[in-house]
Amino acid sequence: MASSSSYNSPCAACKFLRRKCTPGCIFAPYFPPEEPQKFANVHKIFGASNVTKLLNELLPHQREDAVNSLAYEAEARVRDPVYGCVGAISFLQRQVQRLQKELESANADLIRFACNEINPTANLPPPPSITPRPRSSSLGFYQQPPAFPLPYPLPWNDTSDPSGNINDGGEGNM
Amino acid sequence: MTLKGGTSQACAACKYQRRRCSAECPLSPYFPPEQPKLFQNAHKLFGVSNILKILKNLEPGQKNEAMRSIIYQANMRDKFPVYGCCWIICQLKYQVLQAEEELNAVQAQLEMYRQHHQISSMPDDGTSQLELGMAPPSNGLSLFNHTTPQHYNAVPAAALPVPQQQSYSNSSKGVYTSGYMDAKDINVANSFWAQQPNYANNNNNSMAIQSQLVVPQQQTIQQEVVQDYDELHPFFDTIDDRQSYIDSKEAYESSSSEESLKDTTQSTEHVAENELKNAAARFSLTSVN
Repeated sequence: MASSSSYNSPCAACKFLRRKCTPGCIFAPYFPPEEPQKFANVHKIFGASNVTKLLNELLPHQREDAVNSLAYEAEARVRDPVYGCVGAISFLQRQVQRLQKELESANADLIRFACNEINPTANLPPPPSITPRPRSSSLGFYQQPPAFPLPYPLPWNDTSDPSGNINDGGEGNM
Repeated sequence: MTLKGGTSQACAACKYQRRRCSAECPLSPYFPPEQPKLFQNAHKLFGVSNILKILKNLEPGQKNEAMRSIIYQANMRDKFPVYGCCWIICQLKYQVLQAEEELNAVQAQLEMYRQHHQISSMPDDGTSQLELGMAPPSNGLSLFNHTTPQHYNAVPAAALPVPQQQSYSNSSKGVYTSGYMDAKDINVANSFWAQQPNYANNNNNSMAIQSQLVVPQQQTIQQEVVQDYDELHPFFDTIDDRQSYIDSKEAYESSSSEESLKDTTQSTEHVAENELKNAAARFSLTSVN
């Protein structure tokens, strides 16, 4: 976190906004002058005043991470104006679901093999579909389900309506 | 009061801004008056003008999706003020990593079962070979080759997916397979921003944040293991018993790097000869040198 305001060069934010970079500039530690695009993206998507308000609500040791996450989201939105970083969430969600299905299928095969090992003469039917219980796996994959709503429903469960039922869980307590 | 038309109520956006909500209000479809929190979150993060700027450049069919993502992003920022959506991305990536590891483990076990089933279903010759203490069949080593280095190769080095310009309405999920690598820990807060983002103007492929690269180390180790077994694979193919193993090993060790090809050929011939001898030994139960 280099404070460029104490040196000759103003921070990227003050350069962009064409203002004097004061010693107490809130952006200076997080927007070095060597990375002008970082602030440009953040300003374009969120606006400098919004970022200032957000940072003022956080503790000083949290601000760097907050700025970096905002920079990431801003860049994602610049590259993909429709989905932004939510596209990545949707993709990862599908990937998790796919892996979960593969794991279920592999576990079913494993149980079938294990049963055949114990009783090789019996022609055992395929075991019923196994619904993994949370926190039952030895490796702990099935942890507690995420406490956040996922943005997009699965393709096979797509009952979304235009008003966006995804917002039901994320709007907080109203 | 701010009433939209006759009896219909103003949208949450116009209510918040205390202005008249016209019939052409661009935000009214997305911010119903019954859910003021939605707009408050979106307004806090983006601001009305920035939202309208984003929507202005989009086609009508894309606006709904864009607003959904904007509202979701704002809600997540309200829920996680420091990390926002990045926290969810981290969580999901960790789940993907765990699932892949578990899947690999289960598939390895399955492979072992299949090999065992294959061995047990072999004729008596195979069983006798095992009883004589011979090396397991060569395809038993495929267990160690049955990893997914290719899968890891599909996950190059960056912590977060590289956003691409094409919209996800084209189901371009392949886009993200080339963008990121996973952090090992769910507590990635410290290592999450380990490297500074590269915002050089000329670098279109740069990503904002990269974390410590644990998986590539695993990838390297796995590749090394795979390569080691690949090197030993033909070596074990030629072994029938310990005697021939010793002879072959001496032949192998005596070869220099310059004459490796020649010596390999010679050791192969030597081992082939040993195979015949051992086959004879199997029937005559006499030791062969």
